[in-house]
Amino acid sequence: MKESRLGAVLVAPSILFLIVILIVPLIYTVYNSFFDLRFLQMGDFLGFKNYAAVFRNREIWHSLGLTIIVTFAGLAISIVVGMLMAVWIHSCQGLTAYFLQIIVLIPWVISMVVGALLWKWLFNTMGPINYLLNAWGYGNVDILANPRLAPCALIFVMAWRTVGFAMVLILAGLKSVPKDLEEAAEVDGANRWNVFWRVRLPLLKTPVMIASVILLLSNFNNVDVPMVLTGGGPGNATNVITMELYRQGFVYYDFGIASALSFITLLINVVLIVLYMKVVKYDV
Amino acid sequence: MSRDGARSVLRHFGTIAGFAALIVFNLAPIVWSVRTSLMAPSDIFAYPPKWLDFAITLEHYERIVKSGYFQTFRNSIAYSLAAIAIGLIVGLLAAYGFDRFRFLGKKAMFFLVVFCIPLSMGSSALIIPNYLYFSKLGLLDGWFTLPLLYTAYNLPMAIWIIKSGVEAIPVEIDEAAKIDGCSRFRFIFGIVAVLSRPVLAAAALFIFLGSWNEFILSSIMINKPDLRPVQLAIYQYLGFFGQEWGPLTAAASVAIVPSIVIFTFLGRMLISGLTAGSVKS
Repeated sequence: MKESRLGAVLVAPSILFLIVILIVPLIYTVYNSFFDLRFLQMGDFLGFKNYAAVFRNREIWHSLGLTIIVTFAGLAISIVVGMLMAVWIHSCQGLTAYFLQIIVLIPWVISMVVGALLWKWLFNTMGPINYLLNAWGYGNVDILANPRLAPCALIFVMAWRTVGFAMVLILAGLKSVPKDLEEAAEVDGANRWNVFWRVRLPLLKTPVMIASVILLLSNFNNVDVPMVLTGGGPGNATNVITMELYRQGFVYYDFGIASALSFITLLINVVLIVLYMKVVKYDV
Repeated sequence: MSRDGARSVLRHFGTIAGFAALIVFNLAPIVWSVRTSLMAPSDIFAYPPKWLDFAITLEHYERIVKSGYFQTFRNSIAYSLAAIAIGLIVGLLAAYGFDRFRFLGKKAMFFLVVFCIPLSMGSSALIIPNYLYFSKLGLLDGWFTLPLLYTAYNLPMAIWIIKSGVEAIPVEIDEAAKIDGCSRFRFIFGIVAVLSRPVLAAAALFIFLGSWNEFILSSIMINKPDLRPVQLAIYQYLGFFGQEWGPLTAAASVAIVPSIVIFTFLGRMLISGLTAGSVKS
């Protein structure tokens, strides 16, 4: 590798792009979070009052708690189902395995807006799910209007979207497990169950970790799905932190509070990002 | 025999359950939506549902076309292409620079790129910052607004993917080209670009999906109807058509066509890009 300024010149446009469009706005937001910025009018310097207001706001605490539940529940479902799918596809061959992968990945490829819209239509009181419920002798349930069921529906759609992603990473991990290691275990008298738990699973730790961190980030920050599926309702039953952030900004127009809340969510994201950088083990 | 027999029954049961789950959860929702989009309004809410015995109509598609849906389609294509073009050019330069040279601040700069991969994935913390910043600079609601954002959001991942391909090109080729008097830029955009076609295609695919499927940024940055991308149009139909599921499902069905078609042909590339981007061995 050569020591050269040319390297810096080649890298500069990209770095500039990232700094100007992603990093500077974050710094600008920290600045904004110290001011009264209602209706985008720059007002008085408030110090930490916006932060105090965020921490006093019960709705925000509720929303943060809900977000954590939704994020982890969605993650758990994705990883478990993704693992099952990966093991299944790993046992298939050639074109079959490929097409199965494609179908499992479809929900991840189509947009979240469309994905949420498809399920909103299926959950409809006149839709096929309610038809089946009726056929089995249950009454009509308006799933998305029920404060207990709506969060479950939200978790379901988020997990549905990300199963394919978890599957792809875990499958790649499975493929990298050396065959002779499995065979050696079998020769030593391990049954399939033991081979899976004692040989494969430990080697899948890295891909599962990476998938988990990325999906935690993706679920925590998901705004498209709740926006389309429930709009945060009924009441505040699905008002996750991203919806609250959107409301503070574009419904109440209190951009001071919204900036403070953005900075707090950024800090939570940074924890996850550091985790990501730890598990990915990048180097130059 | 009996244990093997039991195992094979279990195996078949698993296979059937797997296929059934895939059909019910991954394919049925799309089929159901396409079906709804082809039904007359009176049939859509018929109870019990009409499974197959309905007359096919294209009226919902005509309605969304009349409401300017294809304009939004053209916009999304233009935004995606712009982001792909800038992303690939700038990303290739950066990938080559990171892979072949040592320079002051290299570690910090690469750290920034890797930091921005998950940052741009979890964009909720960036929504308000980007909005306030763009509004301060007067960059809201322009033809350049979304291409700029889409490029920046997808660039970190693109650099990461392209770099994995540039790494595989032997350094001897660089030297041979230098001896032959090939200029550095002609070398990068000629030889390196050609040799790393697979990763460039994978990166392009990622930028395309990221741009085509993006919704929340466009919803806060874009007001002019002429500049709306596809996903924003669908979301607005949700308010506009309300409970009219015919036009809504028609719009949704059309919007997934490009993603599904490209994905079916380039799926292998996407899968390899996904794993290259996160599982480095």
